[in-house]
Amino acid sequence: MHIMEGFLPVEHAIGWSLASLPFVAWGLRSVRRRLREQPEQRMLLGVAAAFSFVLSALKLPSLTGSSSHPTGVGLGALLFGPLAMVPVGFVVLLFQALLLAHGGLSTLGANLFSMAVVGPFVAAGLFRLGRRCGLPLAGCVFIAAALGDLATYLTTSIQLAWAFPDPAGGFIASLAKFGGIFAITQIPLAISEGLLTVLVVNTLARFNPEELKGLALFARRGARV
Amino acid sequence: MLIEQAAYGNRWRQVCPQAKACFALAGLVAAFVAVSPGAALRVAVLSCMVSCLGAGVPGGLYLRLAAPASGFLALSCLSLSVAVDSDFTWRWAPDALPEMAALAGRSLAALAALLGLVLTTPLTDLIGLLRRLRCPEVLLDLMVLCYRMLFVFSQAVHDTRTAQQARLGDVTTRHGLRSLGRLAAHLAVQVWQRGHALHLAALARNGDGALRFLAPDFAHAGRDTAVAALAGCLLIALARWTV
Repeated sequence: MHIMEGFLPVEHAIGWSLASLPFVAWGLRSVRRRLREQPEQRMLLGVAAAFSFVLSALKLPSLTGSSSHPTGVGLGALLFGPLAMVPVGFVVLLFQALLLAHGGLSTLGANLFSMAVVGPFVAAGLFRLGRRCGLPLAGCVFIAAALGDLATYLTTSIQLAWAFPDPAGGFIASLAKFGGIFAITQIPLAISEGLLTVLVVNTLARFNPEELKGLALFARRGARV
Repeated sequence: MLIEQAAYGNRWRQVCPQAKACFALAGLVAAFVAVSPGAALRVAVLSCMVSCLGAGVPGGLYLRLAAPASGFLALSCLSLSVAVDSDFTWRWAPDALPEMAALAGRSLAALAALLGLVLTTPLTDLIGLLRRLRCPEVLLDLMVLCYRMLFVFSQAVHDTRTAQQARLGDVTTRHGLRSLGRLAAHLAVQVWQRGHALHLAALARNGDGALRFLAPDFAHAGRDTAVAALAGCLLIALARWTV
């Protein structure tokens, strides 16, 4: 769920942009270091950005019977790492605003924080935690993708609730309102996206195990892929 | 992509991107400084008319592109129209109407400013503008490669979906989800294959650094930017000083 152009008050739009800035700088620094060590990654990251953009435009059948679009947050974090997802996410969100009018320029910082910072870091962290606890790969991937997705929408709800607190109940009541309305669509979508990500990783493990073992998050326990 | 088609086919294709970005920025500022919902709505209507009548963007296309954002706005206004008491009971909040009106006016004016820019300016021109504004090279390279590759991937998605549908890959929801998973996995593998192929192609041409491009020349860039700046100032004045 992208926050549309002009929706946030100006102080919130600037505040979320400032909050995202250190993560963008950190992500860019990490990408520059990666490019110095492995120059071929320059092309790979550009192609990864296009992959994320196209993935977010696919129609995903939702459990409620309707269809929606996957965020690709969990899959991107698992394939390319959460730090690389910050600049990649920046480019994808900018392109979504400029090519599809989804999101916007004034809300780019807020959308970046929820979709390219919180979502990927939650997904990668949960995946690592699950693997450390010895959970099966499919379970770790499902939890990472579904909860990464939910974390994204929870962050968006927090951003909206903070910007528009309820006159009677304040921030908490507003969070319940926005969270409640978006949960109707987002919980089934998160489950669908979790299942989709498991299918993607299973297909990769079956037909392209070498590519999967080459990824940082999967390499730690490569033998069990 | 409908926006790209309009961006290449409108009457202002040859107007320099700085001028259009300047006017869009003014539209965005006007949306935020508008004194009343009515003033913000006037800014939205004016920006829309400039795009449709000035640049010749088809009205139907404009409305189609504005629809998803308007849906988000309607849903969010709906949540603002109810109040939750301390015991978590819900009730209508008629006193939230002024806030809803201000929010709707501001969002529509900002959306019109964004659409005015993207429907008249191809993305390649905007990337060129970002290069002139000294955006980091790494981000520019990502943008250039992403822009090039997304058409390649879109074609791959189209071909694979056609093949899957021809083999009843969407016959049930379960089949549909499995087909989509295979499609995404197939695309993910292409990321490495195409990335490697592009790297080899760049090495074969001694390309081992940032990607360089020739910037197109726009006639009357100074004049166009001055006109856009003046029009933008008028738009801000309209939003700020008329109720």
